[in-house]
Amino acid sequence: MKETVEQDTQETLQNEAATQPDAGASTDPSADKTEAPQKTYAGMTRRTLCLGVGSFVVLLGLGAIKPMQTKTLVRPPGGQDEDRLLSLCIRCEKCYEACPNGVIRPAHMEDGVLSMRMPTLDFESSWCDWCQEANGGDPLCVKTCQTEALTLAEGATELNTIIGKAYLDNDLCLAQRGLGCRFCFDACPYEAMDLDNNGRPYVITERCNGCGACESVCVSLENGSISTGARTRAVTVRTVEEVEGLTS
Amino acid sequence: MKSTSRVLRVITAALVLVIIAAGFVARINIGTLSSFGIQDIALLCPLGALGSMLAAKLMIPRAVVSLVVFIILVIIFARAFCAWICPVSLVKRIRNIFKRKRDDTDEEQALQGGEAPEVAIKAESCSSTCSGGCATCAAKRGSALDARHFVLVGALVSTLIFGFPVFCVVCPIGLTFATIMLLVNLFAFGDVTWSIIVVPVVLILEVAVFRKWCHKICPLSAFMSLIAKLNRTFVPTIDNEKCLETSKGATCGICGQVCDEGINLRHQELSEAAMSECTKCRNCVESCPQHAISMPVLPKRRAKKTAKQQTAEA
Repeated sequence: MKETVEQDTQETLQNEAATQPDAGASTDPSADKTEAPQKTYAGMTRRTLCLGVGSFVVLLGLGAIKPMQTKTLVRPPGGQDEDRLLSLCIRCEKCYEACPNGVIRPAHMEDGVLSMRMPTLDFESSWCDWCQEANGGDPLCVKTCQTEALTLAEGATELNTIIGKAYLDNDLCLAQRGLGCRFCFDACPYEAMDLDNNGRPYVITERCNGCGACESVCVSLENGSISTGARTRAVTVRTVEEVEGLTS
Repeated sequence: MKSTSRVLRVITAALVLVIIAAGFVARINIGTLSSFGIQDIALLCPLGALGSMLAAKLMIPRAVVSLVVFIILVIIFARAFCAWICPVSLVKRIRNIFKRKRDDTDEEQALQGGEAPEVAIKAESCSSTCSGGCATCAAKRGSALDARHFVLVGALVSTLIFGFPVFCVVCPIGLTFATIMLLVNLFAFGDVTWSIIVVPVVLILEVAVFRKWCHKICPLSAFMSLIAKLNRTFVPTIDNEKCLETSKGATCGICGQVCDEGINLRHQELSEAAMSECTKCRNCVESCPQHAISMPVLPKRRAKKTAKQQTAEA
């Protein structure tokens, strides 16, 4: 069956291929319209042209969502250069899967339309140990990022890369109520927390790199809503700018 | 009656979707189609690769390698991705749920050759009226500029101006996987967000309501069709000794009617699309009543030989 292919098809195919490059300017015999002849623009009907130009304008307009992005977010290691991350992240979702601690989550629409589906960190149940356990201190999210949106400079370590800063809200902290809670102090791997004379934890901001260990163990939300309307834990990791704004 | 390749295509696309979703749940890091592969070896979406490099005005080695590999794959398989892998083909099927059943039977009747005489008439009238080149007709899709190329250029220009991969934000393939990821996160971690409503709504708006997305908007299909002009493998070929039209002089034209892309293999002059639009879906191969169409891996040399012999004889 296959051996008896004839020249007819081949010729048509070859003709087809041969006429393709300049076909745009010439013709299409296919549409034998009986109604009034349609005017074409470089081989396009008016409808196609309108659709094309319309889509072009829509895509240019879509670019305007960038200035609307004002909120900064806590990003995975290597994503601290926000401009670089915005340029290179194609929202491929690979870093969410790569994270052995399940800390990387897609940013919500509420965080900004442009940031939606881009990676942010959520320390609800775990924290970022720079893949110390899983990969010997070489972050897997950075390794897996194909477009190098997450990238670490030479010599970058968990100590000199500031993901964010912990902020302790005293209104929500159980220790402030004399309950003797010090989970966050015990969890901090970088001695960035200390206890005051009454055994109440506080953050040493200069030492904090935003790993989220403190936030992941904070029990203020589960153990009695001591402050009505509390939606976050007492200690949370926020961006450097946000913490600067809160503490100044 | 549905052709087996149609069923097979739905199964392969669904399988890809299920494997990726399972990979996401199990966290084995195979990524999505935007960046598909094991661990840190992955094939990037060509538009994502191009877009991110344009946006950052940077050369990214892995993105360049991905782009080259993708181009080679398209040269070999043309737009097979569209028919066999793209999850959007599944999302589009949502519309069929709301479709009345009668439409199906109509289609079937059409497939049974109801329209064949019409095709013949068209072919006749066309060969007599348009063969000399008619300036009033629109060019075939894939052989000239169309709306998709505007979207492709628009996406890249906008990316260059605003400095972020603009099309990625609305890409229906990305949104399909985003929907799955958001659902998994919702049920696994109680991650509640408006995105879980907005993402699928945008996806449905794009694909299900705007049903010509693939042919008129999708810049990925435009990109692949541009490269597929170089494709010479797996090209559907008619065996003229078996074809009803050439061997018995009958009117058939079924291969042209079943093509989702609008390619008319027998009567190329009636095609709505160039051969570079072929998605290798095998509809024509399976629908041919004489089984005269095949998709050989390489174009047959023999055909050229016989052509030479014939010209020599003449």
